Amino acid sequence: MRASTRLRQMLKEPGIIVAPGAYDGFSARLIEAAGFRCVYMTGAGTAASHLGQPDLGLATQTEMANHAGHLASCVSLPVIADADTGYGNVLNVVRTVREYERAGVAGLHMEDQVAPKKCGHIAGKQIISTQEFCDKIHAASEYRTDPDFVIIARTDARAVTSLDDAIDRGNRAAEAGADVIFVEAPQTEDEIQRVAREVKAPLLANMVQGGRTPAVKIPELERIGFKIVIFPAVCMAAAVPAMERALVALKETGTDWHDGPVLSPMDIFRRVGFDWWHAIEEKFAPRS
Amino acid sequence: MRASSKLRELLRPRQTLFVPGCYNALSAKILETVGFPAVYMTGYGTSLSLLGLPDAGLATMTEMHLNARYIANAVSVPVIADADNGYGNAIGVIRTVREYIQTGVAGIHLEDQAIPKRCGHVAGRMVIPMEEAVGKYRAADKVRRDLDPDFVLIARTDARGAHGGSLDEAIRRANAYLEAGADMAFVEGPTSVDEVRRICKEVHGPVFYNQTGISPRFSLEEMNELGIAVTILPGATFRATIQAVYDFASELKQRGPMAESDFNERFKGHPLGNVHRFAGFDQVREWEEEYLPAEEMEKYTDSVGHQPAKS
Repeated sequence: MRASTRLRQMLKEPGIIVAPGAYDGFSARLIEAAGFRCVYMTGAGTAASHLGQPDLGLATQTEMANHAGHLASCVSLPVIADADTGYGNVLNVVRTVREYERAGVAGLHMEDQVAPKKCGHIAGKQIISTQEFCDKIHAASEYRTDPDFVIIARTDARAVTSLDDAIDRGNRAAEAGADVIFVEAPQTEDEIQRVAREVKAPLLANMVQGGRTPAVKIPELERIGFKIVIFPAVCMAAAVPAMERALVALKETGTDWHDGPVLSPMDIFRRVGFDWWHAIEEKFAPRS
Repeated sequence: MRASSKLRELLRPRQTLFVPGCYNALSAKILETVGFPAVYMTGYGTSLSLLGLPDAGLATMTEMHLNARYIANAVSVPVIADADNGYGNAIGVIRTVREYIQTGVAGIHLEDQAIPKRCGHVAGRMVIPMEEAVGKYRAADKVRRDLDPDFVLIARTDARGAHGGSLDEAIRRANAYLEAGADMAFVEGPTSVDEVRRICKEVHGPVFYNQTGISPRFSLEEMNELGIAVTILPGATFRATIQAVYDFASELKQRGPMAESDFNERFKGHPLGNVHRFAGFDQVREWEEEYLPAEEMEKYTDSVGHQPAKS
């Protein structure tokens, strides 16, 4: 079954879809191994891990779509991928949708920021007009080649104009053809509840530790009516301090062998599918 | 020697440097074989040949700079590459210039069009405010000073033909961009000989001229007299390719597969008629003789096909 068809089914079934954020193939594998049913590809994490750069619109459509393809091919879960602004105007949006479809992801989200975009939780964002945004969403939904491909419209208006505007943009984007609405960075629990009440479409909640939106737990988000929740930073935020600690320890102790459990090369390979590949190798080994 | 340093040397004699456009590694190799001392990578041709799409800002920086890299690797002459509007604001330009420098091209041109850009000879263009563009050229200049000071930075302004634009505005911008650190000014799309004369007189720096589309045509002598530093013919080779491939495809369609053998007969006498040699198989055999075990070369004695020349 296509990943997009699977995600569509999940949207129809009861229950909230929890999609932790992967920033590379390894984290996508770990999300699957932990038993989650959906993977989210973070754009901020892609820029940081793939390019070593901040989320300032530096990653190209090609890089983002290729990265999405790598994630989609290493897990059997549907992947929802960040597609920033769609990388230009409606023409670029159409190309973006087709490139992401071909990458094998189940859906994408596209936002109303002016290109080049910025991370949704930092200052200095600018947005395009509601009409232009709706045109982009309309083009995305009309020109997808896979009818099941999920288009998620994200509005960054809360930080630029107002929550009212963000809610209005969400409703207008849903009318323009978006399957799911993502109101970025509401700033209080009341705001989150207003989004849930006033946007008449399936909703995505973005939970970023240390971001502008207060933490709300999964069951509560489900109760107030969100259909998808993404945790873009969960893997990267865990990995970064762990790597920093390991590097300090290497400098201080002169070795990366330390007390406690050591991760051998095979421990790592197992987590990225070694057994699956090895079984194939065995099956087709030359018979002597 | 770095490609950028080679290009600087070519620019020193203060004669118009005539640089035809290529759209991929093959067309670049052909231009080099014919004897051009430098080649130009067209964005229009890259978008059309690589993606089959029009030059409307659909090709990404990744795609453009990879094509530039393939071209720079295929030829030993310096390459000037189209870098559109730098694919973003000044911050995006920083990354773009870094990436292009790493491809091994000798220089790029960056324009002041709004995102997404389009071909400079197609209507519907818009430019960003001059102050914003100046910031982009300053950023580009800083990056090349840090990474490759010889890297040639050509500032293109689309203000002549953009929405609300004029020649005066384009000349004003060209001078501002030169002051911001660009080596050369490229005023896109003048529509008459008089306009080109004004550009050459009023732009205070080397002029880069795009002899295509809606702009007038000059002989090399005329351009020397005008004082044009570099002239490009970006689309000439892909137009020739389009015509040649279309005509040959039509012949195949009309006459069937045997038209190919007739073509091959005619092609035999062509300077590049030995395609395997042009592709570089002689070089491969030379490397094999130099670096592979001698017994491996026996493979040439009884395997069938084109025999690359022995060194």
